[in-house]
Amino acid sequence: MSDPLGLIRSATSGGSSPLAGGARLAPGAPSFKDVLLQNIDEVNKLQQDATRAVEDLQAGRRNDVEGVMLATAKADTAFKALQAVRNRVMEAYDEIKQIRV
Amino acid sequence: MYGSLDISVSGLIAQRTRMQVIAANIANINTLEDAQGNYSPYLRRSVMFAPGDPAAKSPQGREMGVQVEQIKIESEALTRRLMPGHPYADKDGYVMVPDINPVVEQLNAMEASRAYEANIAAAEAAKAMMSQALRLLA
Repeated sequence: MSDPLGLIRSATSGGSSPLAGGARLAPGAPSFKDVLLQNIDEVNKLQQDATRAVEDLQAGRRNDVEGVMLATAKADTAFKALQAVRNRVMEAYDEIKQIRV
Repeated sequence: MYGSLDISVSGLIAQRTRMQVIAANIANINTLEDAQGNYSPYLRRSVMFAPGDPAAKSPQGREMGVQVEQIKIESEALTRRLMPGHPYADKDGYVMVPDINPVVEQLNAMEASRAYEANIAAAEAAKAMMSQALRLLA
């Protein structure tokens, strides 16, 4: 799993590390970080697919407009979904930031 | 997640192929020779669709899409036309010409175009559903 910035500490080591509030991750369940990075990888792959499809269409290497439309629609939806998740996470972070200690 | 889009795209490709076959039929309505210049009247082509699209990326697309199973050459699609003095006329002055009715072909072309539009509409609806679901999240 790529962690280009190394910012997210792994939430679990063997599924036994205690989380906030005493909650425990089910054994074998992937951590939030793993899921997020996997999704970022997938979105990146879809974006690259779409870019390549558009390039191929313009260079005349393929002639199915429909396939290019499909690739761009997939990349667009996937990116929007990732952005929605990111906005939600940032919202939660902002709310935590507001808590007075 | 993208199953319905894959299915709609397989429909788009199938209808585009159908449109190409109709265009070929209209273009060759008066074709009497083959590429080598021998007498061989053009035979009408028709597309045969079958369920399932092996080229689709998602399992739903592979199972529920549509594919062009074959482009059938109709071996009987010839008609006799009286053209006395024509190089290929028989002793009674008849020539075997492609049995292609331009009205039928135009109607098929219109149907293919409308079916293409319907697939576009289905794809748009699927995309709208996805972005509406995202609005719930955002």
